[in-house]
Amino acid sequence: MLGRLTWAAIPFDQPLPLYAMGGVGIVILAVLALVTVKGWWPYLWREWITSVDHKRIGVMYVILGLVTVKGWWPYLWREWITSVDHKRIGVMYVILGLVMLLRGYSDAIMMRTQQAIAVGNAQGYLPPDHYDQIFSAHGSIMIFFVAMPLVIGLMNFAVPLQLGVRDVAFPTLNSVSFWLTATGALLINVSLVIGSFARTGWMGYPPLSELAFSPDEGVDYYLWSLQISGIGTLLTGVNFVTTILKLRAPGMTYMRMPVFCWTALASNLLIVAAFPILTATFVMLLLDRYLGFHFFTNDAGGNQMMYVNLFWAWGHPEVYILILPAFGVFSEVAATFSGKGLFSYRSMVLATLGICILSFMVWLHHFFTMGAGADVNAFFGIMSAIIAVPTGAKVFNWLFTLYRGRIVFKTPVLFLVGFMVTFVIGGLTGVLLAVPPVDFVLHNSAFLVAHFHNVIIGGVVYGALAGYNYWFPKAFGFTLDEWWGKASFWCWLIGFYLAFTPLYVLGLMGMTRRLQHIPDPSWQPLLLVAEAGAIVIFCGILCQIAQLYVSIRTREQRLDLTGDPWNGRTLEWSTSSPPPAYNYAVLPRVETIDAFWHKKRSGRAPGVPVGVEPAYENIEMPRNSPAGFITAFFAVVMGFALIWHIWWMAIVGVLAAAVTVLAAGWSDEREHEISAAQIAQMERARLGA
Amino acid sequence: MDGSERVFDDRTPGVEEHEPTASVLSYTAGLALAILATILSFVVSQTHLLWPPGIPVGLIVLAFAQIGVHLVFFLHLGSAPDNTNNILALAFGVLIVFLVITGSIWIIANLNANMMPM
Amino acid sequence: MTIATIDTVSTGVRTGLARGRGGGGPAPKRIVVAYGFWIFILSDIVMFSGLFAAYAVLSGNTAGGPTGAELFNLRNVFIETMCLLFSSYTCGLGALSAERRQPGRFYLFAALTFVLGAAFLFIEASEFAGMVAKGAGPSRSGFLSGFFTLVGTHGVHVTSGLIWLIYLVAQVVVKGLRAAVLRRLLCWSLFWHALDIVWVGVFTLVYLMGDFR
Repeated sequence: MLGRLTWAAIPFDQPLPLYAMGGVGIVILAVLALVTVKGWWPYLWREWITSVDHKRIGVMYVILGLVTVKGWWPYLWREWITSVDHKRIGVMYVILGLVMLLRGYSDAIMMRTQQAIAVGNAQGYLPPDHYDQIFSAHGSIMIFFVAMPLVIGLMNFAVPLQLGVRDVAFPTLNSVSFWLTATGALLINVSLVIGSFARTGWMGYPPLSELAFSPDEGVDYYLWSLQISGIGTLLTGVNFVTTILKLRAPGMTYMRMPVFCWTALASNLLIVAAFPILTATFVMLLLDRYLGFHFFTNDAGGNQMMYVNLFWAWGHPEVYILILPAFGVFSEVAATFSGKGLFSYRSMVLATLGICILSFMVWLHHFFTMGAGADVNAFFGIMSAIIAVPTGAKVFNWLFTLYRGRIVFKTPVLFLVGFMVTFVIGGLTGVLLAVPPVDFVLHNSAFLVAHFHNVIIGGVVYGALAGYNYWFPKAFGFTLDEWWGKASFWCWLIGFYLAFTPLYVLGLMGMTRRLQHIPDPSWQPLLLVAEAGAIVIFCGILCQIAQLYVSIRTREQRLDLTGDPWNGRTLEWSTSSPPPAYNYAVLPRVETIDAFWHKKRSGRAPGVPVGVEPAYENIEMPRNSPAGFITAFFAVVMGFALIWHIWWMAIVGVLAAAVTVLAAGWSDEREHEISAAQIAQMERARLGA
Repeated sequence: MDGSERVFDDRTPGVEEHEPTASVLSYTAGLALAILATILSFVVSQTHLLWPPGIPVGLIVLAFAQIGVHLVFFLHLGSAPDNTNNILALAFGVLIVFLVITGSIWIIANLNANMMPM
Repeated sequence: MTIATIDTVSTGVRTGLARGRGGGGPAPKRIVVAYGFWIFILSDIVMFSGLFAAYAVLSGNTAGGPTGAELFNLRNVFIETMCLLFSSYTCGLGALSAERRQPGRFYLFAALTFVLGAAFLFIEASEFAGMVAKGAGPSRSGFLSGFFTLVGTHGVHVTSGLIWLIYLVAQVVVKGLRAAVLRRLLCWSLFWHALDIVWVGVFTLVYLMGDFR
């Protein structure tokens, strides 16, 4: 009836997951108790629960944990869960990413601590089986459920606004994408408390990930969670490529798009091109595990190396999918906060497209040591070195943008400068690793771990945090607290260097990755420094939580009334904060790069005579749709059932999801109209304020 | 997103309206060419029409030709003024397919040659 | 480049602004939908290329079991190919009928397309069943795993296409050939032609090359 799911799957014998569950439960109960004891319920009901004020609503759902309070569900359903508005979906992605950061980071601290203490005769506190699951979960969560949602969330929020249009090409599909990603996140979280996770590392190499060596549900959790969210991501790629290429404001030619939109285009082209490879690869491993096929098995003609090859054919473009939007954020931040246009827009675009194409020609550098000959290794080594060139060009462009600018040192700019230093170091170590003979020494060592954390933290995380600080006022109508923002930056910067510089040294000293026990006591001092670094980063995360809390509490002092808190250059700053559902009452007419800057300088919107109210027309906006949420719900059912071999439930889940899609695809009334009169009223109220 | 259907220079594969080449004639011509290419492929592979070591190349050329026939005659690719995006997307896709397939074959052949036989 | 009326952007009057460089404003829905689906098709082709690559790499790994030359029946493959090719033809004629708002002819061509597609699937299913019965199922060797997955995935796509066709014909029956339905038919025919393109790759690389070797 329940496949291979039994009570034994609940880890009563493993204290850590149970403590985690218990901890979360206690926190929720404590909050509810506090609210009751302080008599806050009437106030909450009157001022918040029944509020229809945009600002209050925007604030409330940042605190996702309180959602269990009754009375909020109808609102949540109507305004967020079934929303197809790219702004709301973007916010939900970012929330997902930040929440999963907490879990991914707890994994990190646990690993650092284990490595700091398990030296010589000491065994640490994590048995190997548990440690293996932790490093596998850490990588999977950080890549797929922190970095990807953060980056996709920022693109979701900003790209349509920057393009001067009202939404993406396929808004309902956008909702489906988000909820499928959330499905994957849910499944991976369920693996903490029901059953176990994969012990194979985040890449899931066979033959370890095959049935013969991983017979239990762990690898299946990994595969289904990532496969389902991968479909969501692929649909996002299709959506954004279409949006950027086919839906832009009139007059916005390709060379007048903001650079963030160019990097979003390149990133989404990579998603469209790379994620299908991952889908195919996981299909093959799933067929091996479920139906006894022999793609990657040790026997009957399987070829394990093909998995590694295909995985990294996806995996390398994946890291560029993550970093390109971060580059885009930094381009926007550099230009905005130095009060100058981006230096050499044209070469930025060329560099972005160059990186996009080249990222498909380097993937073998992830497995130089697997045994390919010198000619293959040399080709990919050279290509890997070449791909550093366009990135270098970008770094120079950012530098020259800042040079002689009137720089305003807000939090995003600190992240920019931190990124430029940190990412360059990370890139340099990458070019070092691109040399095959060096890689033969350093492959899978702590040096490698330090390198990729260097570029991911220094690049993607800093970029995501910069973007978060940069666009937060646009999304919620008030800026984030600067002091806490800067504090979080310094913690992230200092913490990163403390945590990972020792790993570079340790790698050169011979320490490999994924060690549950440290054989050489002379490594311990460095590992203790690394542990200190991890704690400092944790303080950075706490500072971010504090930043959010303080910002919400004191938001009245930092309201963004003009919609343009940073004296921005691109179109999104011409809307109110937050923008109305339709973004632009009249699509802007674009004549230059940095269209909003041009408008401010010339004193008028292009095409609109001064002082004349534009002729408003009826606007068709897409209706909300539960299709995304319901499809994802059945995807959870299907995924869980397949993991636990509950075949009847899996069939039910698949059929129900298919029926949902077909039902959603039947209707033609996908849009509702906002009349010109309503628009005029809203615009007058907004502009008059 | 405006919902209004207006004349637009842009074209997309398969769009039939305003499409001068979308006609019964174009589909029939495409069918005839594709049948020809298919028969030729079977003949090439089953007889000694081509020098045997050249047969794989011949098959690949014929396959590309037939795919081209499909793209032009059935999907109307390349037959409209502002077709650039469609061609570029196709070119990008073709590049990726080429890299994945030939890259994998080259890499795995190399690895198989260097690694212990299973 | 003066603007004739105040901000006529939402009615899409072309002002000659940056034609050909993408400055014409948001594209009409039909173009957006078709282009989006074209991008999706390309992503599907990339997925197939992953399966092709795996097949190519594993095609020699017969693990002492049967090879392609022993198993493939080229006469059936030729018939399958013709079925699918003709179904692409009838699909195209059906698309023309739909555009010209001729429901009768559209139903005829849709039915023909369905029958030809179903014939393709029937032959393929019998081929698979025959191979399994001979002990040459997908779990026999790496080569057979690659074969069944590549050809089988194509077959699953064809099956989905036929189910989708029934669903769309139902929409035509109920709602008529209106714009939204035509957009979906457009996507469907893109999908169907793309499947035929993939099949060209399959019969060439799997059957003809495999048999020749």
